[in-house]
Amino acid sequence: MAATSTGIHHRSYTSELRLRATKAEYFRLGLMTALLLVLPFVLDNFWLSQINLIMIAVIGAVGLNILVGYTGQISLGQGGFMAVGAYSSAILSDRIGLPTPLAIIFAVLLTAAVGVFFGLPGLRLKGLYLAIATLASQMIIEFIIRRWSWLTEGAGYINVDRFEFLGFQVGNREVFEQQWYWILTILAVLTVITARNIFRTGLGRSFMAVRDQDIAAEAIGVNLTRAKLTAFAVSSGFVGLAGSLTAHYSEVVSWEKFTLDVSILYLAMIIVGGLGSIAGAVYGAIFMTLLPEVIRRVANALESSMPFLADQLPAVQNAAFGVIIIAFLIFEPRGLDRIWQRMKDYFKYWPFRY
Amino acid sequence: MFGKSRSVAVALAATTALVLSACGGDDGGGGDADSDEPINIGIIADLTGATGDVGTPYNQGMLAYIDWRNGDGGIEGREIAAESNDYAYEVPQAESLYKQYVNDGVVAIQGWGTGDTEALSGSVAKDELPFMSGSFAEPLTDPEEAPYNFVVAPTYSDQMRVALNWINEDSGGSGEVAVFHNDSPFGLAPVQDGEDWVAEKGYDLGYAAYPMPGGSANYVGLLSQAQSQGAKYIVIQNVASPAALVAKDIAAQGLDMKIVCLNWCANELFIDSAGAEAAEGHILIQPFAPLTAEKPGHEPITEYLEAEGTDPETIGTSYVQGWYAMHAMAEGMEATLVEGNDLSGASIKEALETMGPIDTGEVIGGGSLEFSADSHRGTSSTGVYQAQDGKMVELEASATP
Repeated sequence: MAATSTGIHHRSYTSELRLRATKAEYFRLGLMTALLLVLPFVLDNFWLSQINLIMIAVIGAVGLNILVGYTGQISLGQGGFMAVGAYSSAILSDRIGLPTPLAIIFAVLLTAAVGVFFGLPGLRLKGLYLAIATLASQMIIEFIIRRWSWLTEGAGYINVDRFEFLGFQVGNREVFEQQWYWILTILAVLTVITARNIFRTGLGRSFMAVRDQDIAAEAIGVNLTRAKLTAFAVSSGFVGLAGSLTAHYSEVVSWEKFTLDVSILYLAMIIVGGLGSIAGAVYGAIFMTLLPEVIRRVANALESSMPFLADQLPAVQNAAFGVIIIAFLIFEPRGLDRIWQRMKDYFKYWPFRY
Repeated sequence: MFGKSRSVAVALAATTALVLSACGGDDGGGGDADSDEPINIGIIADLTGATGDVGTPYNQGMLAYIDWRNGDGGIEGREIAAESNDYAYEVPQAESLYKQYVNDGVVAIQGWGTGDTEALSGSVAKDELPFMSGSFAEPLTDPEEAPYNFVVAPTYSDQMRVALNWINEDSGGSGEVAVFHNDSPFGLAPVQDGEDWVAEKGYDLGYAAYPMPGGSANYVGLLSQAQSQGAKYIVIQNVASPAALVAKDIAAQGLDMKIVCLNWCANELFIDSAGAEAAEGHILIQPFAPLTAEKPGHEPITEYLEAEGTDPETIGTSYVQGWYAMHAMAEGMEATLVEGNDLSGASIKEALETMGPIDTGEVIGGGSLEFSADSHRGTSSTGVYQAQDGKMVELEASATP
């Protein structure tokens, strides 16, 4: 356990159940809040757009981590579930005319239902077999969104109107990113808080019991069927939210944004961030979203001395992606979250090593 | 304990603040009509992706035009400053580049693929940025659907119609057509319109579409399907490399089939990759005249290439396409400035819609481009070529559906 937990004495159950126990933790929370409040005023629109993408990725990665990291159900269907959220939300709001927030809520519920349906094989399958079953869900959904022309009225893509709610409409390009920043940040923070709290309830504990030892979990009275399907529903719900936000933020839905690559990217996020950790999902989302952009800028800066870097940029980005995942699996399988814990420990115990 | 954490946190916050302040972007771009600042435009190019074989020369053609035009005094005395970045045919990468260009204050954007052009069409309309690209999909010509997209060539659908007219005539009024297409929005763009055309004209042509799996080592399987359909004509809507593979397979199997390539495979790259023998006799629907056709509009290109020490013989049609796509955009900007308007996206759009024909020296569709407020279809006429002895030989300079 992390260093912050040692040497802390609780005098009541309420105190023990608190999410944060030490002053340092509150201080970091305050710092984080201040940073989030200041960001839109310091960053230009391009970097703000990257932060907005991170916020969407945070919601998706937290959703996937509930399934993979906390319940031990491997999923390669992330891209497909995001597509369900994006298409249903776009169709409900733009074609049927529901208010956008209502469309998003319905999209989340629909994605949860689709998630449960494709989660059914999880009742019988585990590990690699389940991974292949969810890969099939990705393929099936991708096939449907590519070939079912009713979805896009034959155009191949859906243009989504600018986000509007109760008379408020997101503005043009000067304020577009900033207004979306607030919408996405609030939703990302709510997602993180909700997910954190799920794992303090009986439901969340049953998820973890299934992950750690499903037979033992069943022996102590966990309803495996219910736990697994609920995990698929909750996780897909979050993922659907990320998908529908992608649709409304980028204002267009096309199948090319929800391919298998997306599923793998999200899996990489939670591996790099740390499986079974909400904070890890956040770190992973930040890291993997910024990585291509950072590599691009480094390559551009080094263009004169190392021209091959800029010439073969996409290949370099893909290679870096692979190398980083391998490096994490070898050196720190528990991801960025564990590295951060170790850093805290180091400062806490210094000058002693433990 | 707390003190140490706090000092670490403060140090971290200070570092973050420093990094953030270094992230600031710069403004630039359009500005007043009498400004002499460079004109910023953004280019989203495919150099290493699925369509990089034709995307790379297209991008080179664009950059060459900018270089030539700047050397010639620029647009009304203002230089064009273009940033070109590779997006490897990945839509999310294109969106990221688009955001960067918007933030950098560009006044117009040159894109590439159909998927990303369509994905960005809503954003460019809201951000009021004229957008041209290497995609000639028909929905992009409709100003109601995509008000800021301009299509600088006959659409894929128009090319398909010309191809079907040609096939109808060549086959003597009846036959089977197999359409091999890239399995993407680009590949699918003209498929349905082609089928509708056959019905509309009452042609006695069979018509079936086959998606081409990417990265195939050969297309023998697909060809045998076309053979069982009885197809004598294969219309290909894909880039040059896979189309060349089909030509090689037809030659190797000794099949009696004629390829009719649309736009992105109707070029020298197709002939060179397939080999002159395998390419012999196949038909190429190419709206942009290749340098070998020696049109008046080719003069600046050959002069520029010779001054650079490049042999024009080595330059393919995709290069010419890039050159003239950029020419169309530059002419719109010049018209804006000549009218004394500020160089904004909206005024460039208006200029393109009202300026009258843009002369291309008979390079595009055998004539000129013209846009209006009702239609962003630059032209509907295209050249028809045939591969003969390893060269593109013109059969018809300006064919229209």
